[in-house]
Amino acid sequence: MSEEPGISEEMQNAFVDGELDAAEWARVAQAMGRDEQLRRSLCEVRTVKEMVQHAYATPPAGARRAGRGAFAAGGWAIAASVLFALGGWFSHAWWAKAPELDPASAYTLGRFAASVDQNLVLVHISNGERESLGRALDEVEDLLRAARDSGRAIRVEIVANRQGIDLLRAGVSPHEARLAALRASYANLELVACGQTMQRLGERGERVNLLPGIEVAPSALDEVVRRLQEGWVYVRA
Amino acid sequence: MGIGSLFGRGAAVRREVEHSRDALYRVAYAWCHDAQRADDLVHEAIEKALRNAAQLRDAQRVRGWVFRILANCLRDQQRARRDEIELEEVEEQLFAAGPTPEEAHASIEIAARVRQAIARLPLGQRQVVTLVDLEGCSYAEVGEALEIPIGTVMSRLCRARQALRGHLTPLAAEQAETKLRSVK
Repeated sequence: MSEEPGISEEMQNAFVDGELDAAEWARVAQAMGRDEQLRRSLCEVRTVKEMVQHAYATPPAGARRAGRGAFAAGGWAIAASVLFALGGWFSHAWWAKAPELDPASAYTLGRFAASVDQNLVLVHISNGERESLGRALDEVEDLLRAARDSGRAIRVEIVANRQGIDLLRAGVSPHEARLAALRASYANLELVACGQTMQRLGERGERVNLLPGIEVAPSALDEVVRRLQEGWVYVRA
Repeated sequence: MGIGSLFGRGAAVRREVEHSRDALYRVAYAWCHDAQRADDLVHEAIEKALRNAAQLRDAQRVRGWVFRILANCLRDQQRARRDEIELEEVEEQLFAAGPTPEEAHASIEIAARVRQAIARLPLGQRQVVTLVDLEGCSYAEVGEALEIPIGTVMSRLCRARQALRGHLTPLAAEQAETKLRSVK
């Protein structure tokens, strides 16, 4: 259904279901940037998936179960409206299904530092939990330190969206001091916030003040696609 | 491993099994589209799972394991009844209760049409697509639950989604248009 060579329907399904590893995921994300047919096809898969979820959100109760639940309004309608207004594609939250960091894969940051001579590394953070943000910063710091110790001219960029954006918010970030210290030690660390997430928070009436020196990309997806096209390695934290 | 941790493991599995009741029911209903039958299946599956909780060594893998028990219960039940559900029967069940105020709502109608499309799928495809979509199971978990290789999970999912796209994409388009009209 797609004109993009090499992105089979099975792979499209796996993309939507979060079954691809980081490298495959990045390949589909890249292809998506240039193939409208593929975007439409992926959006249809996503819409169908959300319609199925909606249809069984509250199945009729059996005899042993109490009462009949109210039916929730379908989230799939959002995907459907995206499907028919593809301009809005990039606003759709695909990020939830990007691959997790697999400890066994080459995309684990710690391994990178030791074994891969990639010097352009994009780290994507979308989870706002204190511990997972802390772990991501640990890994980024290890990577930067190892590169410095071995004299490699590395560049690392953290792009944060969804709840992950809290990392970069003044007065909200649980790691404000640590981030400031990291930036002071490593000029080769760049921090980028997702403009779309900020806009969404703003629409909900939340005031978003970013820490000093943070850039804002139109959206996290735009930033990832741009960096991938420039040859960066994508790592999901 | 001490006796304490062995004991703790069984308890953790049992707790997980009890927590999966709603997920099991949702999936069982999506497989057979009959509330009473789904209820019986879940009851039977939970009973079996609790009885055999000590067999499962890893509490992390409870989900795939309970869905496998559920799939086995369904298979046994079908063997006993020897009647794969007929489409007419499913449709009857979907509409038998008559329209309630809730059902008058458009989203209910859509939910019913989606369920019809799911009910039309062969059981194998229906099982894969509902485990993936409703419960967010990984392909590996689905393979484990249904005792089939991952390649089969992927090809069944592919065929299921092709069929569903054929039925549901026009419906989504229709719905999006209605929404747009009502906004204008």
